[in-house]
Amino acid sequence: MSEIRKLAVVGAGVMGAGIAAQIANAGYPVRLLDIVPPGATERNAIAAGAIARMAKTEPAPLMSAHAAKLITPGNTEDDLESLADCDWIIEAVIEDLPIKQALYRRLAAVRKSTAAISSNTSTIPLAALVKDMPADFARHFMITHFFNPPRYMRLLELVGGSATDPALLETIAAFADRALGKSIVRCKDSPGFIANRLGVYWMQMGVLAALDLGLSVEEADAVMGRPVGIPKTGIFGLIDLVGLDLMPHINASLAATLPQSDPFHAANRDVPLIGRMIREGLTGRKGKGGFYRLNRAQGARVKEAIDLATGTYRPEISVTLPAVATRDLGALMSLPGKLGAYARRVLTHTLAYAAMLVPEAAEDITAIDEAMRLGYNWKQGPFELIDRLGLAATRAAIEQEGLSLPPLLAGAKGPFYRSQHGIQQYLGRDGVYHAIQRPAGVLLLADIKRHGKPLAKNSAAALWDIGDGVVCLEFTSKMNALDQGTVAMIEQSVARVREEFKALVIYNEGANFSVGANLGLALFAANMAAWSEIEKTLAAGQRAMLALKYAPFPVVAAPAGMALGGGCEILLHSDAIQAHAETYAGLVECGVGLVPGWGGTKEMLARWQGAAKAPQGPMPALAQVFEMISTARVAKSAAEAREMRILREGDGITMNRDRLLADAKARALALAVHYTPPAELVFTLPGTSGKLALMLAAEGFYRQGLATQHDLRVAEALAGILSGGETDLLDTCEEANLLTLEREAFMRLIRTTPTLARIEHTLETGKPLRN
Amino acid sequence: MHDVLIAAYARSPFTFAKKGALARTRPDDLAAAVVRGLLARLNIDPATIEDLILGCAMPEAEQGLNLGRLVGLLADLPITVAGVTVNRFCGSSMQAVHMAAGQIALGAGEAFLCVGVESMSRVPLMGYNPLPNPALHAKYPAAYISMGETAENLARKFKISRAEQDAFAVQSHARAAAAQRAGHLSAEIVPITTKSAMVEHDGCIRPDTTAPALAALKPAFTSDGSVTAGTSSPLTDGAAALLVCSSDFAARNKLTPLARVRAVSVAGCAPEIMGIGPVAATKKALARAGLDISAIDIVELNEAFASQAIACMRELGITEKKVNLDGGAIALGHPLGATGARIVGKAAALLQREGKRYALATQCIGGGQGIATILERV
Repeated sequence: MSEIRKLAVVGAGVMGAGIAAQIANAGYPVRLLDIVPPGATERNAIAAGAIARMAKTEPAPLMSAHAAKLITPGNTEDDLESLADCDWIIEAVIEDLPIKQALYRRLAAVRKSTAAISSNTSTIPLAALVKDMPADFARHFMITHFFNPPRYMRLLELVGGSATDPALLETIAAFADRALGKSIVRCKDSPGFIANRLGVYWMQMGVLAALDLGLSVEEADAVMGRPVGIPKTGIFGLIDLVGLDLMPHINASLAATLPQSDPFHAANRDVPLIGRMIREGLTGRKGKGGFYRLNRAQGARVKEAIDLATGTYRPEISVTLPAVATRDLGALMSLPGKLGAYARRVLTHTLAYAAMLVPEAAEDITAIDEAMRLGYNWKQGPFELIDRLGLAATRAAIEQEGLSLPPLLAGAKGPFYRSQHGIQQYLGRDGVYHAIQRPAGVLLLADIKRHGKPLAKNSAAALWDIGDGVVCLEFTSKMNALDQGTVAMIEQSVARVREEFKALVIYNEGANFSVGANLGLALFAANMAAWSEIEKTLAAGQRAMLALKYAPFPVVAAPAGMALGGGCEILLHSDAIQAHAETYAGLVECGVGLVPGWGGTKEMLARWQGAAKAPQGPMPALAQVFEMISTARVAKSAAEAREMRILREGDGITMNRDRLLADAKARALALAVHYTPPAELVFTLPGTSGKLALMLAAEGFYRQGLATQHDLRVAEALAGILSGGETDLLDTCEEANLLTLEREAFMRLIRTTPTLARIEHTLETGKPLRN
Repeated sequence: MHDVLIAAYARSPFTFAKKGALARTRPDDLAAAVVRGLLARLNIDPATIEDLILGCAMPEAEQGLNLGRLVGLLADLPITVAGVTVNRFCGSSMQAVHMAAGQIALGAGEAFLCVGVESMSRVPLMGYNPLPNPALHAKYPAAYISMGETAENLARKFKISRAEQDAFAVQSHARAAAAQRAGHLSAEIVPITTKSAMVEHDGCIRPDTTAPALAALKPAFTSDGSVTAGTSSPLTDGAAALLVCSSDFAARNKLTPLARVRAVSVAGCAPEIMGIGPVAATKKALARAGLDISAIDIVELNEAFASQAIACMRELGITEKKVNLDGGAIALGHPLGATGARIVGKAAALLQREGKRYALATQCIGGGQGIATILERV
């Protein structure tokens, strides 16, 4: 298998630039080419402009400033020859067959003989793309269909043609999986592949059914959003997000390529309202508004929705469904009146259409479910939804709706998925259940949990044996907030692993590693004035962190998503971090008027004081840590967490979420060989002079209006810890001293009214209060 | 008493800290390059120089140790030429001139290199390790007051409007740009060779600055204040050097000196309005020279902040027509340790160019001080 080292993307539109960014995020140099704009003096203007724009785009396509430097802009007139050393060239130019083929002919002339060429087309069949191209080109050609935005959408649809070299397809799949972090779904060379084929049909059905049945956009989205487990935006909200103007293009391309017998044609009805909205610039969130908008007229901020009947905006109406209908698909479809009718019509059509796509678009049902989960953010794919509704109920509903039953549904003899001896299986086209195979190097806690029982479990966490002597500590509370249960389980895990195992991995498969301490409990205790309880809990947390850090076995934390406050402190006390690339870590306690209470301050200080290349002396490390913690800075990627030194040099980043646990386990086992716990930290700190220096800077921010009076109070508490309290430059400060200072500062702050107001506000709104 | 002459003046280009062309040049190298450039313009035996007196406001890290001695060695001066470093913050290299003048008057040497340097890219404003004394801060907080705050204090005390400050800054840029176009700045500049380029021009001047553009800036130091980044001198990298000598030395070496030092002074003032320091210092120096302010034809008044410069002009009763003819620090930049040598050299050069008799060079100093030098054309 050849290796992919050098890459290029031709076409610097939103998709091409975003793909180049993700390649750079993975640490690979990439060339990004586009045409020379007519009459341009700066010949690379388009590609260079795309790179510059990405630095300012939110959500950020780039994970770090360093990644931007890995993208080299160029143009297709001067620089095509420079692609001769590329191992993989991705074409992401305009969806125009002659233009693409003209580019391919030029690429065929310069590419090295082993290089792969792929198209990011979403509409043109592979067979058409390689028609009349040299046989050797066709052998190295495939479709790699990324989803927007390429950094955040995990789906990659991979299409090989009859001529494509299977080994090369494997090479690209492996690279896209491991380096780019994508989940690969193999698709047949059929129009729209999988996700858009079904997704567009579903959206189109959703719009038409709402119009025909007389639902408001809010009603339609309330039915099709949360209750079905589809993004809470629902269909109209999703179209706003994607852009209304895209719909006619995608519909037209599917209409042109799908056979006349396809049910899509019946759903491809022109909607005059959408045409009018596009003409008026109401293209969704990127335009002046969409089906929803925020009306800022007269300084007010009124949420509005469009009336589908009249086409005018009116204030948004909130829709509440009966509780049972939000959990039970059957109950949802049995709702009286138009709401139930809507659920029935959209779901039956969508599920029946999905069943039709096997084997036309995909080899088996798992590909379709995976594509919808990852490409459209559905919680469950269509076949999982059918299992949820029940096979018989689905069949009955489809027939009642007057649709014919697709063979796959008619012939299914049982649920599409089942668990057999802890192994998840799916129903194949052959009528036999097959085990769902995870790619090599993929280890999922969900699979382990299906097998058996945890080693231990309480209200907030569980311990799992993940094999080879490694234990996984899983957080299980809501949003993985940390409380006494978590602390107890950390202590239990240390005791258990010490006796029976080699290493501990801290990992879970929630959306977030941990959002930090359970503020609700802290507020409750504060309102009860249970100060000594709070301090005891704090001390217990500090002990648990030290227990992790000085345990006689290695501890590897494997975060993904948010790792905030206490969640970040757990990372800081681990021997190693193996982070998913999409890790958002930071010590955010100051935002709620507190200071890190579980040793986060001392650990960050140790990381910065030990940093090579940094200016030496008592203050530079303090000033850096002070700035980060006092402003509650959160890293927007694992790469940024490394810049903040939350990740140390030896710590690893895993691009593919599904590979995180296996990578963390491997790291833990490597560390377990001749493991010795770290030496205790000893600091030399400047004492009160250092504190004053930090506060002089903080007061400057206060005068500039960038910090509040209470921010200063919190900053002073933090400065007191960082500078070592009353210590002297000639003395040493031990870890325990700093933990005491932390505890004292925390207890001082939590007794203040503005801090409690901040906590309350954050609990209620999820946002910080500036007081 | 021996006559003390400003015999020659040169400086590096002044460029923005961090983003400017000199950001990656070590301050010791920068100062040494200017010393070499100055000596290259003179036909003197370097072994006849007594001492290299170097001013620097944050003498640590790359500008630490005894920078004066190290710059001498870097510039390949004979090892017999001594070297000393002096710190009076922004007044450091003007202080170097005063020390040279004193030594000459004392008969303790005939020729001195008075040098100033600051790399505000490579050593931060407060230094890397600020460790203020908590007891002093408790007793006298203004000892550590930020410079921006002092500028705001003066704007308030002297009721200097935002518009006045903006107009002053616009004029500073306009004059600097005009001087640049006329070649008056390149005449004093020693080009600096860096790893990536030859740097020949000042980098901070914004010839197109307008009052409306400046009016759009937010206050830089206090949310309700009037001092902005546009009416403050920018963080700057730069170095300047003078040859200060006795009249005998000048005659022996056939030098064409620019000016004679008539009087010098330093004075303290309240730290919270340090920007007014030039007033007391100037008054002292005028009295020592036996001159009235009206006798002064040329003024180089350092523009740490527009508000501070305007306050000093009002208090001293000097008009804009005489002040900073080629622009001031708001436009040119203010590499702290280098500014004193620059404005003394500039004032001396302007006396020659304009054919005037008396010049005043004066500046304010953090912590609450002023420093002044009165020159007479020779």
